[in-house]
Amino acid sequence: MKAIVDCNSFYCSCERLFKPQLAGRPVVVLSNNDGCIVSRSDEAKDLGVQMAGPYFMAKHLIEENDIAVFSSNYNLYGDLSMRVMDTLRELAGRDNVEVYSVDEAFVDLSIIRDEELYETAKFIKDTVEMWTGISVSIGVAPTKTLAKLANHIAKQNKKTSGCITVLNTPEKQREALQQARVHSLWGVGGAYSQKLYNMGITNGWELATMSEAWAHRFLGGVVGVRLIKELRGEHAVDMRDELIEKKMIATTRMFGNPVSDINDIKEAVATYTSRAAEKLRRQHSAAKVISVFIVKKEEDHNMSFQGSTLSERTTLPAATSITQELIKPAIALVDKLYRRGQEYKKAGVMLSGLVTDESIQGNMFLSETKNCERRLMDTIDNVNFSQRDDVLKFAASGTTRDWKMRQELRSPRYTTRWDELYEVK
Amino acid sequence: MDEDFYGAAYKGSKQFSQEQIRTANATGFGAAADDYAERGIDLNEQLIINKPATFFFRMKGDAMTDAGIHEGDVLIVDRSIKAESGKIIVGSINGELLVRRFQKTFNKAFLSPENRKFRPVEIDEFVRFDPWGVVTCVIHVIDPVLQSFLDNRKRDKSIG
Repeated sequence: MKAIVDCNSFYCSCERLFKPQLAGRPVVVLSNNDGCIVSRSDEAKDLGVQMAGPYFMAKHLIEENDIAVFSSNYNLYGDLSMRVMDTLRELAGRDNVEVYSVDEAFVDLSIIRDEELYETAKFIKDTVEMWTGISVSIGVAPTKTLAKLANHIAKQNKKTSGCITVLNTPEKQREALQQARVHSLWGVGGAYSQKLYNMGITNGWELATMSEAWAHRFLGGVVGVRLIKELRGEHAVDMRDELIEKKMIATTRMFGNPVSDINDIKEAVATYTSRAAEKLRRQHSAAKVISVFIVKKEEDHNMSFQGSTLSERTTLPAATSITQELIKPAIALVDKLYRRGQEYKKAGVMLSGLVTDESIQGNMFLSETKNCERRLMDTIDNVNFSQRDDVLKFAASGTTRDWKMRQELRSPRYTTRWDELYEVK
Repeated sequence: MDEDFYGAAYKGSKQFSQEQIRTANATGFGAAADDYAERGIDLNEQLIINKPATFFFRMKGDAMTDAGIHEGDVLIVDRSIKAESGKIIVGSINGELLVRRFQKTFNKAFLSPENRKFRPVEIDEFVRFDPWGVVTCVIHVIDPVLQSFLDNRKRDKSIG
């Protein structure tokens, strides 16, 4: 059996850990730049606050109901996420845990006997909550897809489920599938669910009883066949199957305030490039193509949040993961895109054409300078990782950062900064 | 890389392989001294038993001075240890986090300060109490030079 462990309203739970006065009070967390709502506590959901809704549209609801609002505190959430994952690794064994996202992980429970599945899930849940202070829901089933469904059921009615649902018999799986609308299934995208509804297939059980040949034809080939198998309880998506290297790495942010000076935009793009290059090196890749885009601030304040996006790309002479080799072309692209007098609200950098980084292991076919550069990058990454605040950065990223994102309601970074520790009386 | 930094049971900084030792790299053979290579004593290794459950707090005020906890001290708090009578804990009382000694008798429970200026709080049906974690260690800086070094570093950060 496989389990998915999913943190409940993760960002809100992180905020509550150091603010016990928020127990029972509705909480929401805003996205980068305080634009949208990205996490809601159950109380906020009950009040009708919409996920991913723009903050300003929910403002009256928030003020009327005294909902606590926080800017994203990614240092805190990242640290607590790591603690949750480490706790799972400690309990289930390092190799049996697959981190799926910042607040979800699959745990392989194949060594657990059937009659002990529920107790094991309960033990995992209680231990994670005790050690990290983050409450979780757990779904257990023979396949990842069914485990996701089990978790969905556990979350729908937390009081009766106790946040745990185990679908360990064919009967339970059938009942769960019959009650699941196809669009709520893991791996069924929006486009497919519409197609399925048009064909008269509305619930998971109807889908699970279709033939593999049918799935191959109408559900995107091999992927569709895997989905059908998974729904029937035959495991087809391996642990770690999904953890393939990213084919593309992007770093984009909204500016705190609209920016019109080209130097500010260049600094921002250089910073995003450094960040993207760091991600690139972490997965041992090098990029052949770099794209830069900037988004214009629209003059009229209509309901469309999309400004017009301008983008340019360059193919590099050789694949690289060296920051300065990426910053130079990125800045050149800004020169191409920028128009004087226009205000911009967002910029981004995307690295693609990813290949395995040849320079990672000292490579004797590469020039000595290349190996030195690689070592320099490793040093920078190590220093920045241990010091947190980008102690070492490229001069092109600027020193003042006027364009930095707005985070007016961010709580202290209790777990990652000595000078922001919780002051307890 | 992250994996090495966040092993659950903290294994200290001695997690290194032969490739990380320079002399071995250059020659293919380890120099004699490498056989004894150690990274030295590591405070984390000594003071942090369960890393994912360990949090740092800073003491504010003088409620616990008689227990040797002073204003500005760093508290190491382990959430995986059960709050038992007699232990110094961090707990929330009506939504506020406090450091106190947890004391339980056969029919009553208290959070007691270690300073006569303060009064114990009785945990009865009128207060909302949740234990947060157990204080396992206090870091108290005694050298004024080190203290001003730490203060300066804090100030630099807030300017930069």
